Amino acid sequence: MSPAAESQPVSSSFWNDTGRTGIFSWIFSTDHKRIGLLYLYTALTFFLIAVVLGVLMRIELMAPGRTIMGAQTYNALFTVHGVMMLFLFIIPGFPGAFGNLVMPIQIGAQDVAFPRLNLFSWWLYIIGAAIIITSLFTGGGPPDTGWTFYVPFSARTGTNVSLAVFGVFIVGFSSILTGLNFVTTIHRLRADGMTWGRLPLFVWSLYATAWVQILATPILGITLVLVIAERLLGTGLFDPARGGDPLMYQHLFWIYSHPAVYIMILPGMGVISDIIPVFSRKPIFGYKMIAFSSLAIAAAGSLVWGHHMFTSGMSDMAILVFSFLTFVVAIPSAIKVFNWVSTLYRGSISLEAPMLFALSFLLLFSIGGLTGLILGAAATDIHVHDTQFVVGHFHYVIFGGGVFAFFAGMHYWLPKFYGRRYAEKPAIVAWVLLFVGFNITYFTMMVLGMKGMPRRYYDYLPEFTALNLASTVGSWIMVSGLLLMLANLFHGLLRGTPVGNNPWEGATLEWSIPSPPPTENFVVEPVVTHGPYDFKGAGIP
Amino acid sequence: MGLGSNSVHLSQFFRQLFFVPLLLLPCLAFAHAVEESQLHQHGIDTAQQLQNPGIGLDERLGGKIPLDISFRDETGRRVRLGDLLTGPTIILPVYYSCTNICNFLQQGLAKALPAVQREPGREYRVLSVSFDETETPQLAARYKRTYLKAMNAPFPEDGWLFLTGDAAAIRQLTAAAGYRFQRQGRDFVHPVASFVVTRDGMIVRYLYGMTFLPKDLTMALLEARDGKVGVTIRKVVGYCFSFDPTGKTYVFNILRVSATTVILSAGGFLAFLLLTGRKKRQRPSGGA
Repeated sequence: MSPAAESQPVSSSFWNDTGRTGIFSWIFSTDHKRIGLLYLYTALTFFLIAVVLGVLMRIELMAPGRTIMGAQTYNALFTVHGVMMLFLFIIPGFPGAFGNLVMPIQIGAQDVAFPRLNLFSWWLYIIGAAIIITSLFTGGGPPDTGWTFYVPFSARTGTNVSLAVFGVFIVGFSSILTGLNFVTTIHRLRADGMTWGRLPLFVWSLYATAWVQILATPILGITLVLVIAERLLGTGLFDPARGGDPLMYQHLFWIYSHPAVYIMILPGMGVISDIIPVFSRKPIFGYKMIAFSSLAIAAAGSLVWGHHMFTSGMSDMAILVFSFLTFVVAIPSAIKVFNWVSTLYRGSISLEAPMLFALSFLLLFSIGGLTGLILGAAATDIHVHDTQFVVGHFHYVIFGGGVFAFFAGMHYWLPKFYGRRYAEKPAIVAWVLLFVGFNITYFTMMVLGMKGMPRRYYDYLPEFTALNLASTVGSWIMVSGLLLMLANLFHGLLRGTPVGNNPWEGATLEWSIPSPPPTENFVVEPVVTHGPYDFKGAGIP
Repeated sequence: MGLGSNSVHLSQFFRQLFFVPLLLLPCLAFAHAVEESQLHQHGIDTAQQLQNPGIGLDERLGGKIPLDISFRDETGRRVRLGDLLTGPTIILPVYYSCTNICNFLQQGLAKALPAVQREPGREYRVLSVSFDETETPQLAARYKRTYLKAMNAPFPEDGWLFLTGDAAAIRQLTAAAGYRFQRQGRDFVHPVASFVVTRDGMIVRYLYGMTFLPKDLTMALLEARDGKVGVTIRKVVGYCFSFDPTGKTYVFNILRVSATTVILSAGGFLAFLLLTGRKKRQRPSGGA
């Protein structure tokens, strides 16, 4: 046990919270740290289930024709994989887990603005998730529409779409409430001296994310209600035979779902902005631009949904405008990347696990972003639309970007909340396996897509066999890295060496309090006198 | 530190774990009820989908089309259907004077065929079959010229035949394929679909819509060669329709109103937060 932790009375750790005991002290706790860990555990559980589904899909695609499953099973698998990864893991996971764990401490607050609402959000998430899982085993079987629930197919398929959509609708409410809570917290509960210019960049990214959650998620909600109305009441809103318009569904869906991509990636960018200065021993380069670019991404990202529909039927003018706006989003993203690289420049870089994940984020996210421009340009998009290229690109952005940042965050922040740390060597081996496996799995997908292999088919032409086999083998390497990483993390967090207040020598507020933090976070209310990356100001050599 | 007592809490955790399903039970029950009602409603919905039962498509995968019926090709020659099936064959039910979808359907095929890596005429054949018994081989020949030209690539004459025939032969073929259409004045209401048959006339795949991916076609032809019955790729049957945006004004109005509400309330919320600013705290360590 570290000296700093010893100086705190034992009962002060939030793990020893008095009051309820056992599981009730968790599922009915209003402490943001406990709720954050609840989100972390549940989101990781769904992540692991979805990983298994993904691996099964890769095994099916190992060879042409039926390998381990038929077409209908495959359709269900990619649908459930997508729904779980997006709606149950990465969208609620990032703000829910790390936002809850870290943000209130980083701004010097005792908790979020509405602790009970925070708990309610988690409950909504769990209820929504339970409904989605129920939809897999009841009615006409798991939905087979893809995570996008496109009409007219989603309005007609006999599978359990209504229930799954209802579950996603409930999870959406959880997302909106978390957004409201965070925006209010960041505005109202900052500590004395915590000006907007001293907010850690992770908080800035959560702030931008929260606004996207508040503004975009209601549109998903109403769209999903319309799908249910279409199925249950036969309203015909999307049915051309009754005067409806199926394209309207795509517009409504993507008005939410494209900004949702930024809900997935923005907090990741925030994590990276916090990790890179600490492991380069340098203040961040371009603080204001990084903070501003988060808002710019949130704003511009809300205007680009049409680029998902270039082949669906839109006027050429609309295609031109959406294509242009898509390129505009690349600018704030590039601003961030350049600023991170400039922070690294002449830094005293230490390659520990969080930093390795952050650096691989830089590379993988850049590949994902640049391949996104290929899809954002109408001419090239038409060539690769609905091919494996899109699958590869998306995984580079969301997995290579968002999830690698999530892993970086786990290595960086979890020792703070458990008071113990993982072993470094296995963490690095796990990172190598993940990084290598990731690239083999998804880069081959992009090549396959360029060659014309469509997405969402359980079968393919014989000429695609070799690359598909490579991709499948890559997925095994990746999963072995993932298992090693999780085993090392959780073994280390429960049994590893204790850490002091500030194992990484960071300058943000969470490193000024004991690990694990006391229930009220700060025994004495902090007064902030320096910026988040001002190591000298924080008295760190 | 808190972790020492974690293992103590752990057993309690598991003991209380069984409460969780209890808490979730009501929502599961509700969810199930929703799904039940959805299934019943969905049955009605399907029946209502197309008010006219005379129009539609019932997949007859694995079924056989009659080989002994005869049509006329675009030169006016009488041909037996069985003799045309020398390998995998794509059959398109259309009518040549259609002013709408049939043209797009055949155009879509003409675009995709040059990219199919199989030799037309020898390894596969395409048959457009008019379901309008009043159409003539002359008309068929005109359309054949159009589509072969549209391909912008050499394509053998016997690789794509344009057939016409009498009402009985047409009905026999379309009935065997589960393809139901109806005359409405000079036009027809009909599904937009084509199907692929093997050499002995077995239906192995239906192709929906009017755009074809060369990959789908090649896959279908490979399966037809091997006599494998494939699953349908895109399950949604398209129909000829026209969309009138003015008829849906109320929908757009609903969307407009809800969007404005969301923006205004979010804007109001932001204004409130900006005006009230940071919460004043009482020192030392006041409640949040």
